[in-house]
Amino acid sequence: MKVTVKSWTGVATWRWIANDDNCGICRMPFDSCCPDCKLPGDDCPLVWGACSHCFHIHCIVKWLHSQPQQQCPMCRQDWKFNNK
Amino acid sequence: MANKSDELKMYWNKINYAYPILNDTLFTDCSDAEYEEIQQIIVGLGVQIKIRDLILIHTEKYLRQHVAPSFWSKFLKTDEEVKGFQLFKSAVNDLYEAMSSFSPMITRLGILNNSCCDNKPIYGERDVMSGFKQLLRATLLSQLPLDFQVIINHFYKVSFNVFDNAEYDNSDMGEDVMCSGCWNEYSDCNCAYIVKVFHDTNRKLVELTLLERLTGQVLTNFIQQRIELHIQKLCTGTFDVSHIGFLENWLDTTVMSWLTRIYCAGASKPHKVDKDIQNAVSKFKQKLSYYLYHIYTKLRIDQLFNIIIVYPDSQPAVDDIKLCLDKTDLRATLCKKLQNALETRLLHPGVNTPDILTAYISAIRALRHLDPSGVILETVTKPVRNYLRNREDTVRSVVSSLTEEGAGSELAEELAKFAAETDEDLEKEEDWDNWVPDPKDADPKVNGNDRKANDIISMLVNVYGSKELFVNEYRTLLADRLLAQSVINTEKEIRYLELLKLRFGESQLHFCEVMLKDVSDSKRINSLIQQDKNFESLNNKFASNAMILSAQFWPPFKDESLELPEEIKQHFEAYTKSYEALKGNRTLSWKPHLGNVNIEIEIGDKKLDLTVSPFNATLIMHFQTKPEWTLEELHQIMKVPITILRRKITYWQSLGIISERSTDNFALVEGSDGNKSSCSTNQVQEMICEDEESESVMASAHDQREGELQVFWSYIVGMLTNLDSLPLERIHQMLKMFASQAPGTECSLQELRQFLDTKVRTHQLVLQAGMYKLPKT
Repeated sequence: MKVTVKSWTGVATWRWIANDDNCGICRMPFDSCCPDCKLPGDDCPLVWGACSHCFHIHCIVKWLHSQPQQQCPMCRQDWKFNNK
Repeated sequence: MANKSDELKMYWNKINYAYPILNDTLFTDCSDAEYEEIQQIIVGLGVQIKIRDLILIHTEKYLRQHVAPSFWSKFLKTDEEVKGFQLFKSAVNDLYEAMSSFSPMITRLGILNNSCCDNKPIYGERDVMSGFKQLLRATLLSQLPLDFQVIINHFYKVSFNVFDNAEYDNSDMGEDVMCSGCWNEYSDCNCAYIVKVFHDTNRKLVELTLLERLTGQVLTNFIQQRIELHIQKLCTGTFDVSHIGFLENWLDTTVMSWLTRIYCAGASKPHKVDKDIQNAVSKFKQKLSYYLYHIYTKLRIDQLFNIIIVYPDSQPAVDDIKLCLDKTDLRATLCKKLQNALETRLLHPGVNTPDILTAYISAIRALRHLDPSGVILETVTKPVRNYLRNREDTVRSVVSSLTEEGAGSELAEELAKFAAETDEDLEKEEDWDNWVPDPKDADPKVNGNDRKANDIISMLVNVYGSKELFVNEYRTLLADRLLAQSVINTEKEIRYLELLKLRFGESQLHFCEVMLKDVSDSKRINSLIQQDKNFESLNNKFASNAMILSAQFWPPFKDESLELPEEIKQHFEAYTKSYEALKGNRTLSWKPHLGNVNIEIEIGDKKLDLTVSPFNATLIMHFQTKPEWTLEELHQIMKVPITILRRKITYWQSLGIISERSTDNFALVEGSDGNKSSCSTNQVQEMICEDEESESVMASAHDQREGELQVFWSYIVGMLTNLDSLPLERIHQMLKMFASQAPGTECSLQELRQFLDTKVRTHQLVLQAGMYKLPKT
């Protein structure tokens, strides 16, 4: 007997490679989206700060806009986007 | 003196000559001229009042002793209709003759009475003739025999047959040897004779003013019987024709014209002058048409369940009932009977849920039509709703019929219709001109508008109370469908999703939207990754695709372990790498047991092309490397529990590719005999195959609920460490107090018991004399 696989459709779930499960600002899972978004993933990406904390991009932008100083809400260091 | 006495004797003889009734006979040769003389004698003697009273007394006696007994003596109890017909005819004839022989005497008595100046009414009537008739009626009815109705009934039955036949059944005439009117052969058909006798008899009865007294009751009974028979003959089994028009017509033409003929002694129309007869006939008609509606509605109510099942084909029947309900007082009966029918025929364990739903939907439609206010619907279907609530698969059935296409998916059509109708509804609400109050049996607590506004789908959703349950079930179903199909008709799914959104709102169905987007995104990512150079070389062998899901938005999956063949794992790893390169900072976790595989199996010269689950593919690939395996070995290599292995290996057994050599020892079937058995078991295979695929890959609602209850576990452990042991009720109370702040985490005593029982089963708890304890470690 010979078995030939012609095609194999697998099922996988995607997740962000981050050091935490939930966004520190909106408390939603990273794999879900921020409260303002409807669709997760590409439409609601994560950003990492220089301090290695990460958030939904919409969340941190909103936070930075509402603050006089640009600080990470977790560690109070100056916020810098980490473009890795 | 002798002279005087002789004279008186002569006068007396003359009076006797004029009024033979005084000697109990009726026959005399007395002419009008002779009577005038006698009249003068009476007046001359001044005894007119005395003579008149004497004559009346004698007449009374004569009627009592002779006329009435001889009339009633004809009323024998007989079973033969024709004999009854003849008897009644001759009785009436004799009576009529007897009365006509009275008539010269009555005329004379009239003259005599005119000469009396006391103005005394005769039997309550002003003139002698009507007084006499009154007397006759009274005398006859005072001697009424017990079974007098029998032959009257026969008489009318025979004649009605003739009429009914003449007006109706013309079409059958040619084929029958018997005349269906009089049941004689055509050669000596009696119909004409019967009609003649019938009119004659009726005329006489009318003249004697006996018609209504004697035959009224019999006629009514008889006609009611005929109506009932006629309706039953006409209306059983067919619901797709409206009968009420025919019936009204039948009543108007056949029955009423017959009645009119009876009352008017043969004429088909009453004389315009005769108000009494017109009144009598129209009163009769009112009674009869009420009776007609009543009987018809009752019949239809008995059939209502069947009518509902075939709705909308039975719409004419429903229209009829609607019309008749206004004219009769049968609403309450209808509700009660239909409810009983539903309970006995629908609401028992032998009926499938989809069938109950179909019937429920038909009932909603039919009863909506019958009673636009929705009150009947609400009353009648209450037990159905209660029953559906207790069935576990109701939601699933509703959701699947909502999204199914083709036959039996009325709900899908309904959903589409709803989308089209939403705009029109707004205008309808302002139509206050045609406002109608709620019927009197409506529940005053419920707003009438709510009742009307509910359409079929919301009525079905309301069975369960909440939209969420529905939406959740839809999500699970959608997930199953998306994963099971290799080719997904996304367009169709999106269309349904849009329709559902219109009804349930955006927010409820947001998850499903993401799910569909995942599917279409996966397609794009697949094609991007296929172009990746690293991946291309691997893909030469076979194409590997992936469905990439957003785990947060899909219903939880059943956890199943499966170790895939090395080759496949390599593919997945390569795929993951490409994905990571494509989408920065993101990675994939595979669900090895999900998905589907297209494989080709070559046995000898035969090729099988199959689409199977990853599990089955893995299994058969292992057999490729080694033809014989024990379950234990398979368990080692595939990391799948032995029970599941044993269950699933039957798929290949049914195909005749693998056979069980000895207990738990499986081997490949090589060669031609394998092919044969594969052919013979083809059908079995399909069935089993389907069975396998229809199993949901999603965690069941029960499992999900258990997951939610897991929240309480830490509380329970805390309680039991502090308080040692607690009964179920105490735990429930304390949980209520401390833990159920968040919405959606309420749990019933029943659920909690189940949850704790599973904990007992897994030895995390101990149940002793109704108290739960933590096991000592």
